[in-house]
Amino acid sequence: MDKQKLNISFTLVAAVVGFMIAIQFQTVKKPEERDTRDIWQLREALLQEKELQSNLLTEIRSNEEKLSAYESKRKQSKEQALRDTLEELKIEAGLTEVTGPGITLEIEPAIEDTQLGDPVTRVVSPELLKRLLNELNMYEAKYVSIDGQRIINTTVIRDINKETKIDGHSIKSLPIEVKVAVADSTTAEKLYNRMKVSKARDEFFTEGLRLNVSAPIPNIKVPAYDNPIRIRFLEPIKEGVGT
Amino acid sequence: MWLPFMGLVIGIILGLLTEIRIPEEYSNYLSIAVLAAFDTLFGGIRAYLQNIYDEKVFVSGFFFNIVLAASLAFLGVHLGVDLYLAAVFAFGVRLFQNIAVIRRILLTKWSTNKEKLEKS
Repeated sequence: MDKQKLNISFTLVAAVVGFMIAIQFQTVKKPEERDTRDIWQLREALLQEKELQSNLLTEIRSNEEKLSAYESKRKQSKEQALRDTLEELKIEAGLTEVTGPGITLEIEPAIEDTQLGDPVTRVVSPELLKRLLNELNMYEAKYVSIDGQRIINTTVIRDINKETKIDGHSIKSLPIEVKVAVADSTTAEKLYNRMKVSKARDEFFTEGLRLNVSAPIPNIKVPAYDNPIRIRFLEPIKEGVGT
Repeated sequence: MWLPFMGLVIGIILGLLTEIRIPEEYSNYLSIAVLAAFDTLFGGIRAYLQNIYDEKVFVSGFFFNIVLAASLAFLGVHLGVDLYLAAVFAFGVRLFQNIAVIRRILLTKWSTNKEKLEKS
């Protein structure tokens, strides 16, 4: 039994030694075949490799050229141009949400003007809103929304059954918010200064309303016009027919 | 008696089959570890032939020598002194001594066996 134990430990140690020797042997003999090429053969080999390298480089270059050609073609393609134009027109027409510098105006009933027993003013007359819009447009307002309804070129503001409606959206309660976005922050500043001293405040006050002008905000979000735009009397010119 | 040789062969085959390669900078350590292992192995054989074999001494000596040799080499690399040469020297000398002792023991055994044969 003692002998067996001895044998086992010897065997294990021998196995470990053999393993280590094998690994060491493999590590040392790594370069299996010796490089016996002389300098000219080496130069030739180097030349071949360099040729390969230059071939690869030209391939890369041609591929990159192709890539850039495709890229520029895609950019200049009619489709892309149409897409860009469409996007521009959409922004112009007010079909997209716009974020930019601007101010907000708040229209609320003027409590101090209301006589005891009189009803508090609840409606804004369309004339007032139109005047306000005209004034805003005069001061270079680009994107305007009243009470969450975007104002576009074809927007109508009118009185239907004593309810002020903006393109079908009725103003039911006060206060309402008018969001005005302009091109840049200096214009916003200008707009703010002009609105502060504008006559519109007095005009609103005579109707029992107060117009509060907020300081310019760098990022004001004007919602998109969400109804379809109906064009009834507008037709494209037929080419070649025109006189 | 043949089992240790079998172990050695199995170890070598395993090592060759696994195709493990140690990075160049560590091959020093491995070589010195192999030397230490050899030294212990022959020391064990000698002790067995002299009947003073102790398994604990053998196994602990095996691992301890390997670790010691490797750490000595490591220390040498960091001190800038080729300390592993000391280990190589010590192990080499002991290896030769052990093998010489084994040879003598085997020779005496052989000659006594021969005498016995002649007597009988």
